[in-house]
Amino acid sequence: MKKLVLILLIISFSLLLIGELKIDKVFQNALNEYETKNYENALRDFLSIENEGLINADLFYNIGNCYFRIHQIGRSILYYKKALEIESDHASARKNLEFALTLTKDKQETSSEDVIRSFWEKLFDSLSINLLAVIALMIFGLIILLTCFMIVFYRNRERTVPIFITTVLIFFLLIFLLLGFLKWRAYHFLNEGVILTPSAIGYSGPSEDFTRVFTIHEGMIFEIEREEGNWSLIKLPNGLGGWVHKEDFELIKL
Amino acid sequence: MLTKQNVVNTGKQGAVNMKRNLTITILLVLTAMLLAEDIIIESYVDKTKIGLQDQLKYTIEFSGEKAGEIATPDIPEIDNFRNMGVSSSSSSSYSIVNGKMTSKIRKSFAYILQPERTGNYIIPPITLKVKGKTFTTQPIFIKVVAGTTEPLPKTSRQLSRNDTSGKLEDNLFVLAEVDKKNIYKGEPITVEFSLYTRYDPYDINDLSFSSEPVFNGFWNEISFRAKRIGFSSAMLNEQRYHKMPLIRIVLIPTRTGKLEITSLEMLVDVRIQSTSFFDFGSTKRYSIKSKPIYINVKELPYENHPEGFSGAVGKYTLSSSVSDTELKIGDSFTYNLSIKGTGNLKQFEVPALPEIKNLRFLDPEISTKINSDKKTGTKSIKYLVIAQEKGVFNIPPISFSYFDPYQKKYIIKQTREYTLNVQEGDMTFISSSAAQSSVEREGDDIGFIITNIKLKDNPIYFDEFGYWLIWLLFILLLLVSYIYANERQKLSGNLDYQRQKQANKILRKYMKTAADHAGKGHIEFYSAAQLGLSSYLADKLKIPRGSSTDQLLTEVQKKTDSSAISEKISSLLEKCDQSRFMPGGFSSNNIENDFIFMKEIIADISKTKI
Repeated sequence: MKKLVLILLIISFSLLLIGELKIDKVFQNALNEYETKNYENALRDFLSIENEGLINADLFYNIGNCYFRIHQIGRSILYYKKALEIESDHASARKNLEFALTLTKDKQETSSEDVIRSFWEKLFDSLSINLLAVIALMIFGLIILLTCFMIVFYRNRERTVPIFITTVLIFFLLIFLLLGFLKWRAYHFLNEGVILTPSAIGYSGPSEDFTRVFTIHEGMIFEIEREEGNWSLIKLPNGLGGWVHKEDFELIKL
Repeated sequence: MLTKQNVVNTGKQGAVNMKRNLTITILLVLTAMLLAEDIIIESYVDKTKIGLQDQLKYTIEFSGEKAGEIATPDIPEIDNFRNMGVSSSSSSSYSIVNGKMTSKIRKSFAYILQPERTGNYIIPPITLKVKGKTFTTQPIFIKVVAGTTEPLPKTSRQLSRNDTSGKLEDNLFVLAEVDKKNIYKGEPITVEFSLYTRYDPYDINDLSFSSEPVFNGFWNEISFRAKRIGFSSAMLNEQRYHKMPLIRIVLIPTRTGKLEITSLEMLVDVRIQSTSFFDFGSTKRYSIKSKPIYINVKELPYENHPEGFSGAVGKYTLSSSVSDTELKIGDSFTYNLSIKGTGNLKQFEVPALPEIKNLRFLDPEISTKINSDKKTGTKSIKYLVIAQEKGVFNIPPISFSYFDPYQKKYIIKQTREYTLNVQEGDMTFISSSAAQSSVEREGDDIGFIITNIKLKDNPIYFDEFGYWLIWLLFILLLLVSYIYANERQKLSGNLDYQRQKQANKILRKYMKTAADHAGKGHIEFYSAAQLGLSSYLADKLKIPRGSSTDQLLTEVQKKTDSSAISEKISSLLEKCDQSRFMPGGFSSNNIENDFIFMKEIIADISKTKI
C-alpha cells in the first residue's frame, strides 16, 4: 500500500518536472525567436505558456512586447495592464505601457494633474500587493513580539514606552492592511477593459439604435460598470459613459 | 462771518469795546469789497473773420490792482477750434488823483486758436473763477472761411506764371507719397512727406510738426528726417515747386486690409515781404496738413508656399561659406550663411540647420545689418560647429524661401553642399561649458523583453493559506506567552506550589551527589541520601523542612494508606542514622545496595499520590 502511494507520487512529480522542462524549452525558444525578430513565432510560444495556466507578470510583459512589435497596440496595452495588475511596481511594464499609450489615437491621462492625488497614486502603484502583505505581516509580527515581551517581562514595570510604540505600529498596520485590502479588491473585482478593434462606438443604450455618444479607438482603457447581453456599459477616464459591444474590447482579467 | 462772530462775542463783554470793534469790522468789510470789485475782466479777439489756415488770437484780460497775481486760467475746449497754446503778458500804470496814488495792472492771456472747419461759430461765454469770484466773458461770433484772409506772401518770382493761383493751398502744402499702394503683408514700402511751396524758400522761416502721422498696423522705421530747412526745385503735375523732403519712413505691414497712414500736420512760418518802404514786413504762421493715405495690404498667397517659409518678403540672395573643410576631432569651424537683399529683413526667422550626427552646432550668432534706407541690408548667421567624431560628413544644402512681391511668387534659394573631412585629432577636449551638451534622447521605444523569468505563478499572498497561517501562529504565540506569564505568576505567588514543583529538582540534585558517593563507596552517601529524601518528602507533603522522621513517616502513611513504603523509608533513614554513629561499619558493597534500595523507594513514591 505504502509502496504504491510512493510510486504514484514519484510518477506525478516526474510528470510535473517534465512539464516544467517542456515549458522552459518553449520559453527559451520564444526568447530566441524574439531576438531574431520573429515576433509572431515568439508570441505564439509565449501564448502557449500562458495557456498552461501560468500567471506571471514578466511573461505578460513579454507578450505585451510581442504584440507591440507586431503593431497590435491594443493587445500590448492589455498585457502590460495584466502585468501591472499582478505587480503594480513592475517598472518596465509601466514604462512600456506609458509609451504605448502615447501611440493611441485617444489621449489618455496616465498620471493625475492633482499633486496630492498623483502622490497617492504613485505610492499605491509602487507598493505591490505582495509587498503590502509582507509589510503588514512584519508589522503584525513586531506588534505580537512587543506584546509578548510586555506580558512576560514588563509585568510589574512601567510600560508607557512599549505601549506607545505598539500603538504607532497598530496604526501603521491598519494603514497597510487598508492599502492591501484596496489592492486585493482591485485585483479581484475591478473590471477594466481595453479596446482592441481599431475603433469602437459608445451608444447611450445597449443597442446600435441608440444615440452615438462617443467613438474610442484601439488601446483605450476604461472601467466596465454593467453588462447587458452582448453590451457593456463602460466609463471612460474622462467620465463619459456609454454602451460598447463586447466584441470590441477585452477584459483585463487574469 | 468771522468778524461778525467777533462782534457778538465782544458785545457780551462790554458796551465800550463794542463801538470800537464795530468800526474796525466795517473797515475790514469795505476793503475786502474793494479788492474784489477791483478786478475787471475783458475778452476779445484780434479779428472776427478768419481763414481756415489762419490762427485766431483770443485774449482774456484782467485789470486791477491785484491782477498781477492771477495765474493762467484753464479755459474749456471750444468747439470747432483747437487750442494751440497760451502766452501771457502784463502791463501796469499808475495815476495820482487828489494826491492819492492808485496803480492799475493789466494781465492778459492770449490763446492761439486754430479753426478746424469753415462756418459761423461762437466762442461761448467762458466762466472763470479768480480769487474766489466767478467771472463770465461775453460770447464772440467768428466767421471762418476757406483759405486765408491775410495778405499772402508773394510767390517766388522765378516760379510765377500766369496760371499760378493766389490760393495758399496751391502754393504751400505737405504731400505724402508712397511708392506702392497695393502691397503684400510683409512687403516694405516707403512713405515720404515733403513740403511743396511756390513761395520764396528764403521766406520760409520756421517749420515745426504739430502732429505726426500714426502708423497702425505697420512696423515702421524712420530712415530720414530733415534737420534743417533746405529746398530744391521739383516738378509736380507739370508745375515747378520748391520741394523740401521732411521725413521718410519705411513701413512694413503686419496686418492685412485697408490700412491708413494718417496725416502729418505742421506749422510753417512765412515772412510776408514789405510792400512799402515803411513796412518792415511780418511773419505769418500757417497750419497745413497732408491728406491721409490708404494702403491696401494683401495676404501672401497660400498656394505653393514652400516648406520652411518663415515670412520673408522681398528680393534676396543667399550665400554660404565654410571656414574649413579639413578638420581634426575637436576642431571647430564656422558655417556662414548670409541673406542679402531688399525686404523685411528683421521680420523673418533664419532657416534652420539640419542636425548632423557628430557635428555639434552651437547657437548661431545672428546679426542683421540694415542700410540707411531701412529697406536693404544683410542678415548674416554664423554657426560655430565642433567636429566630434572622425569621418566624412556632408552638410546638406540649406534652403531659404521668400516671397517676391514683384513676380508674385515664392522663390527658393539653396546653398551648396559641403563635405567635411574630419581626421583623428589630438583628442583635446574643449572644457568650456558652452561646448557641453546633455545627452539627448534620439529615439523612443519599448523596453526589451525579460529573459530570466522564473516560470512560476505569481502568488497573491492575501489569497494564500500559508500567509494567514503565519498570522495565526503569531496569535498563538501571544496566547502561549500569556499562559507562560500566568504560570510564572502562580509560581511566584504560591510557596507550597513552588515547593512541590521544586521537590523533584532538589531530589535530583541530592541523588546526584548520592550517586557520586555511592559509586566511590564513600560513607557520605548516607547523609546526602537522608537530606535529599527528607527534604523531598517534606516539600511533597507540604510540611516544614526539618520535621522529625516520625512526623514524615506518619504523613506518608496518611497519604499512601499502606505501611510498605513508610517501612522502607524508615529502614533507609535508620541506616542513615546508623552511618553517622559508626562510619566504619559500611562496606562499599553495602552502600551500593542501599543506593539501589533508595532508587526503589523513590520509584515507589512516584507511583503513590504523593
